[in-house]
Amino acid sequence: MKKIFLFIGAILFSILFHKQGVGLNLSIFSFITLILLVIFNKSAFKQKSTLAYSVLYLITAITVFIYNNSLSIIANFVAFFTLVGQVSEQNSSIYINWINGLYTIVAGYFHRNFNINETKQKVISNKDIDYLHLIKIIGIPLALIIVFICLYKNGNPMFNELVNKIDFSFINFQWLLVAICGYYLLNNICKPVIIEPTTTLDINTGNYLSKKGEINIGDLKKEHQFGFILISALNLLIILFLITDITYLLTSNDLRASTFSNQVHSSIYTLIASIVIAIIIILYFFRGNLNFYSKNRSLKTLAYLWITLNSILIVNILIKDFQYIYYFGFTYKRIGVLIYLLLTVIGLITTFIKVKNVMNFWYLFRINSLTTFTILVTCATVNWDGCITIYNLNYAKSMDFKYLIRLSNNNVFTLINYLDDHNLDNYKNSVIRRKYKRYLKELNAKSWQEIQFDNFKIK
Amino acid sequence: MNVPITIIKATGLSLIIFWTIAITEDFSLDMIPLVLLSVIPISICCSLTICLTIAPFFWSKKGKRNLETVYNSYFPFYAIALFGLCVFSTIESNFNTYGIAFNTSAFFTALKTWSWLAEPKKIK
Repeated sequence: MKKIFLFIGAILFSILFHKQGVGLNLSIFSFITLILLVIFNKSAFKQKSTLAYSVLYLITAITVFIYNNSLSIIANFVAFFTLVGQVSEQNSSIYINWINGLYTIVAGYFHRNFNINETKQKVISNKDIDYLHLIKIIGIPLALIIVFICLYKNGNPMFNELVNKIDFSFINFQWLLVAICGYYLLNNICKPVIIEPTTTLDINTGNYLSKKGEINIGDLKKEHQFGFILISALNLLIILFLITDITYLLTSNDLRASTFSNQVHSSIYTLIASIVIAIIIILYFFRGNLNFYSKNRSLKTLAYLWITLNSILIVNILIKDFQYIYYFGFTYKRIGVLIYLLLTVIGLITTFIKVKNVMNFWYLFRINSLTTFTILVTCATVNWDGCITIYNLNYAKSMDFKYLIRLSNNNVFTLINYLDDHNLDNYKNSVIRRKYKRYLKELNAKSWQEIQFDNFKIK
Repeated sequence: MNVPITIIKATGLSLIIFWTIAITEDFSLDMIPLVLLSVIPISICCSLTICLTIAPFFWSKKGKRNLETVYNSYFPFYAIALFGLCVFSTIESNFNTYGIAFNTSAFFTALKTWSWLAEPKKIK
């Protein structure tokens, strides 16, 4: 039964992907893989978390069909191996799901076939097929026949003619190879595997810190003193930086794009360094028994203050980025800055929770990986090219028109609608129409496997 | 764990995978000597890969009981890293048929080699 499903899946895989671009095929493939996963792993799909990952996977599959851009394809791949990893082990963290999922997709078959029975110390082969014998009875005669055909070909012109008439062109070998790849992939994922001992270690690692050995008050006092001085100095420094930065922001009247760009980007680099160092230092001091030291309140307060000051730094950059967007419109880089700031705020909030609730490093890693994954999937559902185009054309004080033309084809219909409603100069008119025509030609040339949502708009 | 035998097996497997993919592009009987000659570079590649990247994991842990531990500890990460490298190399080769053939044969042969090396002697 399993083999029939896999066989049908492999044929569909080759029909969908052999010599095709990405489009409807990836969405259909996502549905096929989900169906196969459900059929072979029913118990895993009784868990709500697995269902949630399935929904996210389907969302990314739909976004591939609608937008067909790199972000949606990447999100679909990540959601795919996250789901496969989740099916393999439902209680592990998301980063373990990623590793397990990737491993299953890449080498699940090899892992399952290397199934050692520890008591007997022998490899249990899942199949009783003597491959060596098969090679002997098929491979060697075949190889020898080919060699002799080559020899006889040169010795007899009639035989040569006969051999040359043999034509296998009706068989598409590449199509068959793609089907074999599909079979291998589907066979790998139908019974997901886990990496040991990594998975067990992750399941057994909780989110909370516990006391390590005996508490040495003397050592803790020295560490507390060191932390207090260091974080106090860093707090003072960040306050000084914020004062000067806010003063500059309020007094500067320079509205050149290059000035804004330099300010935002240098602030981002500062922020990256500041936040990373802040989290590392906080993790270092709150890694062990200092969490359980009765007089650690002042150090905790300083850590909270530092987190707050870093948050103010984020707000400061957010204002700069919004100003930049207000005057010069959206670009992918400016949106990237906003997403980075969102991730940073979440990172700081989780660090605050870590210190407050005496949690460990793995808590931070788990929650932040999950957040990153959620944001990736959410971002994939947005037509960024369309958003950028709508905002820049309608609301930005000034903008780079060529930038809009350079964006992917997801903004073509927005541009053409804008052109219909507004009187644009000849240059803009011709450039938009050229992009539109090129896109229509591209859409019309697509095979059924490659079609996307925009194909239905033009019919 | 028998390295010389494994190298011979790996060469055979690699040869089959490589030429199975390569001949889908174009095949004529004149290519037979080329197929036979390709055993030399393929065996060199297999020997180097096995001796430098796979066997050291097993040499570092001696004793039969450790074979499974070595396999379970290192094979998954090796497989993931190798997959990444092969995908990267295939993209870099601009999806050229010979590039795909080389990377596919390298990937599957290396994974199968792990099983051959980790396989303890069968009890009959």
